[in-house]
Amino acid sequence: MLTDRDRERYSRQILMDRLGEEGQERLKSSTVGVFGCGGLGTITSLYFAAAGVGRLVLVDSQKPDLSNLNRQVLHWEKDVTEGVSKAESAKYKLSNFNRDIVVEAHTAMVTEDNIEEFFGETDMVVDCLDNFESRLLLNRFCIETGRPMVYAAVHGFYGQLTSIIPGKTPCLRCIFPESPPPEPFFPIIGVTPGVLGLLEATETIKNIVGLPGTLRGELLIVDLLSYEMGKVKTGFDNQCSVCGKWRK
Amino acid sequence: MADFTEDQIIRYSRHIVLPQVGGKGQKKIRESKVLLIGAGGLGSPAGYYLAAAGVGRLGIVDQDEVDLSNLQRQILHRTADIGRPKTHSARDRIIELNPDVEVVPYQTSLTSDNVMEIIEDYDLVVNGCDNFPTRYLLNDACVLADKTIVDGSIFVFEGQATVFKPHVGPCYRCLYPEPPPPGMVPSCQEAGVLGVLPGIIGSIQAMEALKLILEIGEPLIGRLLLYDALATEFRILKIRRDPDCPVCGDNPTITELIDYEEFCGLRPARC
Repeated sequence: MLTDRDRERYSRQILMDRLGEEGQERLKSSTVGVFGCGGLGTITSLYFAAAGVGRLVLVDSQKPDLSNLNRQVLHWEKDVTEGVSKAESAKYKLSNFNRDIVVEAHTAMVTEDNIEEFFGETDMVVDCLDNFESRLLLNRFCIETGRPMVYAAVHGFYGQLTSIIPGKTPCLRCIFPESPPPEPFFPIIGVTPGVLGLLEATETIKNIVGLPGTLRGELLIVDLLSYEMGKVKTGFDNQCSVCGKWRK
Repeated sequence: MADFTEDQIIRYSRHIVLPQVGGKGQKKIRESKVLLIGAGGLGSPAGYYLAAAGVGRLGIVDQDEVDLSNLQRQILHRTADIGRPKTHSARDRIIELNPDVEVVPYQTSLTSDNVMEIIEDYDLVVNGCDNFPTRYLLNDACVLADKTIVDGSIFVFEGQATVFKPHVGPCYRCLYPEPPPPGMVPSCQEAGVLGVLPGIIGSIQAMEALKLILEIGEPLIGRLLLYDALATEFRILKIRRDPDCPVCGDNPTITELIDYEEFCGLRPARC
């Protein structure tokens, strides 16, 4: 149930015909997992907190370093000095930003054996990761538990995004049968994860509220240097080792 | 890179390794002075990302105080900032993020009397204002002072962004010669807005500002980027300078600032 304070705080979005009190209640009663509290995760979680998503579960194993600060807007110089973990640093800022929501922080390495512990109670998980191995782990977990996820990835001035709905859309392994090589020190301008993280937040909110036009079975490609934006249809891989058997 | 400290080189290293930026580009970013009009839904993400990128000076013009209903989209302000001037909470947040940035707050509305003096010190203006009189005032002032505006606006589920570079591309008046009749266009207060929408447009404005500072890519001069959050679609429209434009045209009739409240026939709407 919305409180009077909620009605005032979220008044600008409750006013929208397509969202209304019902949509706001859905946001309030939902739990969203944010896997990765870096360039994508800091901005998505900030806008989830702004929009009134009731519970956020933040998971990241790292501490921020100085080279993160050109894009990871929830981590500050003092967090680097004090050695606070990214999940805790983000939780602190988000809780101050919006005291009416619940933020959980987990500083942990996620593995096949413990992923359930972190994301088992979420309604959706947002992939805010920077490596394909963890993405595949999340993809498998979401497919096996029937949980929608939103994927985004960034490099330089470019990014891509899609929604993965188990049983309804191709999964990450169908889209990328081969894992790209790891790139530990990839070049990035801060605004790129900013725009992609915001698009991920929009996509998640639309999935929760039930708005049309989500990127189901479509991969959005973003080029911020030229704004040549395009959508590519994604196809099921019938031999997919992750979602193949679940679709049968 | 000699004049960057070791910490600064690490802080900006992910930019510096981009061929489009490099040490030279980072120096350009540091030497740049950007003025934000509004510390609201558009100005918040633009301010955050310009500060994170290492812009040398960020001016912030806003006369309002933080209200609870702003926090659904204005991420520079926190719950505890309610009632404080937006310029103050914006400054606090930006300095926490990057103490290298010089933040200059202007806690005032933009008027015909103060606009020329304020914009004079800046290379670029990022416009996140929420009312028509200020849009026309800022446009005319920037054409007269030859300052580029990175413009953004939003309405419910739709957003747009463009760059007004005087005499190179169109200006705001080339696109919209006349303001809409008072009351015709509902404000955010009346129609509502999805919080993430100004987030996306404000971030794109920060991107455009950086592209202009770095002189890279294809900035949105003479092009209007349209974003439809419902369809998740981006479109580009070509827009042209109007040779008959009263302010940037070949024979301008507006050569000094006018009364913009009267021109728009309304009191400023809040967004």
